[in-house]
Amino acid sequence: MTMAMAATETHKGFIDVRDMGVIFGANDSQVIAVENVSLNVQPGEFVSLIGPSGCGKSTLLSIVAGFVKPTRGEATLDGKAITKPGSDRGVVFQQYSLFPWLSVRKNVEFGLKMAGVEQSKRNTTARALLDLAGLLSFENHYPDQLSGGMKQRIGIVRALATSPQVLLMDEPFGALDTQTRVVMQEILTNIWQQFKISVLFITHDIEESIFLSDRIYVMTARPGRIKAEIKVPLPRPRRAEMTDTPEFMSLVQELKGLIREESLAAMGPEIKDRGLSGFGMKVGPKGVGEIF
Amino acid sequence: MGSTANAKVVALPLPGGRVDPKPVEAMTSSIPEGPAPEAPVTNALSEAAGVIEPAPEIVPTISLGDIAQVLLKQFTRERIISAVLALISVGTLFMIWYLGTKYRFEFYIRFKNVPTPAEVYQQAMQVGLSNAFLVNIGYSVRRILIGFFIAIAIGVPLGLMIGKYQRARDLFMPVVEILRPIPAIAWVPLAIMLWPNNEAAIVFITFIGAFFPILLNTIHGVRSLDGVLVRAGRCLGANEAQLFWNVILPGSMPHIFTGLAVGMGVAWVSLIAAEMISGQFGVGYFTWEAYSLVNYPAIMLGMITIGVLGLACSGIIRMIGVLLMPWLAFAPGGKR
Repeated sequence: MTMAMAATETHKGFIDVRDMGVIFGANDSQVIAVENVSLNVQPGEFVSLIGPSGCGKSTLLSIVAGFVKPTRGEATLDGKAITKPGSDRGVVFQQYSLFPWLSVRKNVEFGLKMAGVEQSKRNTTARALLDLAGLLSFENHYPDQLSGGMKQRIGIVRALATSPQVLLMDEPFGALDTQTRVVMQEILTNIWQQFKISVLFITHDIEESIFLSDRIYVMTARPGRIKAEIKVPLPRPRRAEMTDTPEFMSLVQELKGLIREESLAAMGPEIKDRGLSGFGMKVGPKGVGEIF
Repeated sequence: MGSTANAKVVALPLPGGRVDPKPVEAMTSSIPEGPAPEAPVTNALSEAAGVIEPAPEIVPTISLGDIAQVLLKQFTRERIISAVLALISVGTLFMIWYLGTKYRFEFYIRFKNVPTPAEVYQQAMQVGLSNAFLVNIGYSVRRILIGFFIAIAIGVPLGLMIGKYQRARDLFMPVVEILRPIPAIAWVPLAIMLWPNNEAAIVFITFIGAFFPILLNTIHGVRSLDGVLVRAGRCLGANEAQLFWNVILPGSMPHIFTGLAVGMGVAWVSLIAAEMISGQFGVGYFTWEAYSLVNYPAIMLGMITIGVLGLACSGIIRMIGVLLMPWLAFAPGGKR
């Protein structure tokens, strides 16, 4: 497996989250976002974090990225505690986060420029990355001239430009249409295999998480805890046709069962009870008409 | 102050030295001067050879070709309709003036003493070539530029700080909120007391006029900057200073330019008021003096001059904005 190879080659990009707890707000308005979460990403591994909306999966990613400090526990990258954002962790956001005032190439160069890399070297690296993303011919365009899928591809290679140890992705394809999503997933697996980089990928899309990952953590509704950890034994490289295989289907079924319970829980106790009994709403003998 | 006026008007001292002292000329001449002259050559090279070999080369983001395209785009149907409507609006104003003075319209509004366009034109021909009139214009423009650039130099950095840091906001905003509602004209008496001479007082009042729109729009620009861009900047390794320079400043630029355009307008209003009250020289002084001397055509000439100068100044600011921020043409919602 490539994952194991990458691990022995470099031993870099090991994310370890231990006994993590995050509480937002103070005193009586406290919200427990994340409770007692431990997870890890092995060097070169692709790990997804899946769960219902509001379960704290983005919060976890923000902690690993260094934007949020946990209330309890700690996150480490290659043994070093994470305290602030840094270019050793590339982040791809759900919203398009390209700088609209910079050309596509200058966007990709940004991290290198911050690191003080000279212009000609930045240029070469950025062009090679844009070539990889299939967007070299757009290097002098502005982000607002591009489609959503193009912007996210640039977002990914921009995050890779500083050669980070890990890539943190927060529902990066959430804003894209289904067809574009599928293509983007294939592009991402391709890029990931070339870079042999660890990825922590947040999503609420079950098929997406299976297609991309080596391992999937399923989170509970708020407060977010790890509900299950599932290995994806599908071979690499992954291809779009694999989504029709029985192995893939059975993984989807397994995850759907795990997630449905949590999605219902996330909607509040009333919906949870109804959902578990099949949404049978009983209004009275006259039906809905009685309400009006 | 008066005796050195002639010498001063020839070489107007301009802080920053970025804007041409003759605004109307600057509007047309700044177009080809903006980008690097070698732009089209390198751009063509990159298009021909770029895809084949990713060789390091410097490709300017704004090329002459882009600007030519932008200029060509000006001649669209929409633009022509806009131009015709602009002509109608200015033409109507002129016709009201012309017909009102020609037939000496008098019904509550009295056109009896209003000079005709012909009289004003004669006055312009007579006065326009005179050195005294140019000295007045020179004085006004110089005061505007000094006051305006000081307002930028203080307003933009302060606005960035206040917009970014809660502590800076807590420290500065109370003073800003107290001083902001005071119109620049109300500063005139105090300014005369505060500053050693009239010239400094007038520049100060112009500064006050420009300062608050620039400051508040800069603050607004920082605050409305998408937080994800700041986070993206941090993730890409930008430290605090780099973040200011590479993310917060360019990201706030559209709002800053809105502030500059508004500030320039208010600066003119303040300047003319100050010149009328306490000035020696300047277009406002010229206009008020004409009223005192019962030279009615000169009043109109002064007003028109103020209008044209104000228009030219905002035009230059808009032009610089377009050149500095070509990306805005593609921003969602189209052109600003």
